[in-house]
Amino acid sequence: MLSEVFIIVVRGIAIGSIFALIAMSFNVTFGATRILNFAQGNLLIMGGFFAFFLANGVGLGWWVLMLLVAGGLIALFSAFQGWITLIPLRSSVEQDSWIISTVAVSVILGALMLITQGPFAYSVQGVVPPFRILGVRTPGAYALAIGALIFWYIALRLFMTRTFVGLAISALSQDFDAARAAGLPVRRLQLVSFAISGLLVGTAGFLVAPVISISPDAALRYVLNGFVAVVVGGLGSNLGTLIGGPLVGVVMMLTAYQIGGAYQDMASLLILVTILMIRPQGLFGRTSARQV
Amino acid sequence: MNTVNTMTARAGMAVEERAVKPRFNSDLPQLWIGIALIAITGLGPTLIGNTYWVHTFQLVNIYIAASVFQNFLFVDAGQKSFGQGVLLGIGAYVTAIAFGLHGMSFGVSALLGLGAAILGGLLFALPALRVQYFHLGFVTLSAAIVFPQLLMSLDKWTNGINGISIKLDWIHGDLFLGFSPLTLLVTLWPMATLATHYGLRRSRLGRQMRVAAVSPEAARTLGIKPGMMRFTAFIIAAIGTGICGILYLPATGYVSPQGFNVELSFVFFFAVVVGGRGQMLGPVIGIWIVFILPNIALAQFVEYRLLMYGVLTLAAIMLFPDGIVGSIERWRVKRGVTGRGEQAFRVDSFLEGLEGTQEHKPSDDVVVEVKGGTKRFGAVVAVDKVDLKVRNGEIHGLIGANGSGKTSLLNVLSGLSRLNEGSFMINRRDCTRLPADRIATMLGRTFQTPRIFPQFSLWENLKLGMDARTEAPSAGILRLAGELEAEFENDSAELLSHGQRRLVEVMRAVLKEADVVLFDEPAAGLSSSERENFAKLIRFLSRRMNKTIILVEHDLDLVWGIADRITVMEQGRVVASGDPASMATDPAVQHMFIGGRRA
Repeated sequence: MLSEVFIIVVRGIAIGSIFALIAMSFNVTFGATRILNFAQGNLLIMGGFFAFFLANGVGLGWWVLMLLVAGGLIALFSAFQGWITLIPLRSSVEQDSWIISTVAVSVILGALMLITQGPFAYSVQGVVPPFRILGVRTPGAYALAIGALIFWYIALRLFMTRTFVGLAISALSQDFDAARAAGLPVRRLQLVSFAISGLLVGTAGFLVAPVISISPDAALRYVLNGFVAVVVGGLGSNLGTLIGGPLVGVVMMLTAYQIGGAYQDMASLLILVTILMIRPQGLFGRTSARQV
Repeated sequence: MNTVNTMTARAGMAVEERAVKPRFNSDLPQLWIGIALIAITGLGPTLIGNTYWVHTFQLVNIYIAASVFQNFLFVDAGQKSFGQGVLLGIGAYVTAIAFGLHGMSFGVSALLGLGAAILGGLLFALPALRVQYFHLGFVTLSAAIVFPQLLMSLDKWTNGINGISIKLDWIHGDLFLGFSPLTLLVTLWPMATLATHYGLRRSRLGRQMRVAAVSPEAARTLGIKPGMMRFTAFIIAAIGTGICGILYLPATGYVSPQGFNVELSFVFFFAVVVGGRGQMLGPVIGIWIVFILPNIALAQFVEYRLLMYGVLTLAAIMLFPDGIVGSIERWRVKRGVTGRGEQAFRVDSFLEGLEGTQEHKPSDDVVVEVKGGTKRFGAVVAVDKVDLKVRNGEIHGLIGANGSGKTSLLNVLSGLSRLNEGSFMINRRDCTRLPADRIATMLGRTFQTPRIFPQFSLWENLKLGMDARTEAPSAGILRLAGELEAEFENDSAELLSHGQRRLVEVMRAVLKEADVVLFDEPAAGLSSSERENFAKLIRFLSRRMNKTIILVEHDLDLVWGIADRITVMEQGRVVASGDPASMATDPAVQHMFIGGRRA
């Protein structure tokens, strides 16, 4: 019994860390652009695909190199997508065309993966060997997921507070017009935020490839769980994702164990609706002052 | 006698102008074209005797109807839903379970299906009461992913992956000329949905929904509850889409989980974008392109259909964001509708005839009273223990430097934000805890940036004031409304100047017969002649219509020119209050004038 609870918690936290990583990548672009990229799940899966095709069963050195290559390529793609998404926003009075364009890109990426790779899930051999905690065999990628979460949390924090570009992006998230008036290259900073977001979620997909289902239709489920994590934690709060992600992960594992795996997505939908009804700003979110 | 003559002359001119003025929007012609297209595609194949096209267009027309509700939800209510396929699926599945598995009559089964679709709509609608914008996109997308999973795993009730087949012979029988009841139903239903959408748009509910979608805070000051509007929209869409689901069942004769995956919801959503968001005809053209093109015209490439949906939609949003119908409409509007420059919107002549010549005087009745009002934003105290009394019919100037709390106080008075401490009363009624939409019946306001809705004609923009009423209008207002309608029915509000836009907001307050009108920096951005006219209008509102005015303004000459009383605020506190003459020599005010010009 105790070991079962333990497995649920460990796996839940590990899977939840993946959601938290997606949630964090949401926060990066949301701060700078007020855009949530619906294709973020596809970028995660893309990272997984890179791991399958470039780094399946290779040595550590090659694996690290490919991790950087995959991260870089996905970051480039993400910046390109950001550029496309931001074009209509430049002139239009209607500021939510991004919902349509990022969903369209998500559908296109999913369809391309389906056409070229088929609907099957791929399995990737991890570079970190499985290990045992309290006698429970645990895939190495679980440790990587949790490690990546901690790494990115600290890295983003340092980046946002210690570097000029990071501070400039933080400025964007606080007051758009003031940042523009202060002479910040707003559009370029927004593209940088997209690139960072892609790098984050792309490397995350690469790292956790052994434990996620790398199939075209998995992307939407990951992006939704990432969104639930960011809503639970509070949109814009990276600290919140550290709680939100694992919370969603544990609830999903618990659901799979108690009711059945088919109800996991249902459980996360219920979390989402409940949070939005009771505390829409999330656990760590701020209520924004009304603008009239 | 003279006035009567000029009135008739003006009315005569208006008639002439109306004859040449093109329609403000093409909703009505689009409705008729849409109905004609549906009639041709719905009835044509039967007349020709082509069974393949009969079946194809049965499904196409059901999808058109579903997309009409998506369009309504998307544009009129501003809600991006990626889960409309779920509501259609619930309607179809529950009908199939009751009819096919439990042998109930089709009528009862259909009612159960409709009820279930409404319950499903509630799942979308309940969060809509609290949140808006992209949150609901994720909720509905999530539902679209969960729904087929549930159909599979609840196989005890749904038959799981095997799906449910039904036979309903009478609905395919020959009624007359080869038309089956089903053919007639799936032709009439999309026509009815288009007509419903059109009717909603013309209704008070539809207008208020569209205001709430674009500007929730302006909506609240016009007596609208934005959350309630979103909720209502989701329920209307759920009913309509649920009926589509009921029709889907006999049209296909079969339901299975694969038929209701997220792809179906995407089809409806993308059809609206490609066809033209907000255009009556958009869903018809959109479904033809998004659904027919990949699934029927290019059926040999059917595995590429998801790619085609995505590419079509991305191309649409990048190249012609108004969609196909929307681009044509934009071109038509560009050619036809023109502004009337300075003369586009003058209200003086309309107001003249409104109230008699009786001159009102400010009385001693206190209409607005704030007692110890404090409003904090975090550590910032925006309004600090403010006491304020505004008397009936007076023009009360509220002045002070930027950040002194004037607008915060106006927001409190109009209910947009709540006092942390203290209380305020309007007409002796405690309004401290009253929501903005309730206060709206007593109080009208203008915003620093006027809230004008370009999707409405100029008259509809004004009519929002009438819509906000809870009581029947007086005869004078009714006549005024009629005159304004005749004059501005087909005018665009988009080309109005800044000053004219502000006038629109004022007229809304007049039309709803609010006792109190708040002006938030009305003179900012006005030319000097516009300022003069505006001062006249404010005086008219106070002296002739007996309205109580609170005027936040930086143009001190304007304030001193018209105000009966002036209150000075500094850092959230009231530092001085009194009549203009004594205020001009008050030391608290002196430093506000450059070089003590008023001293």
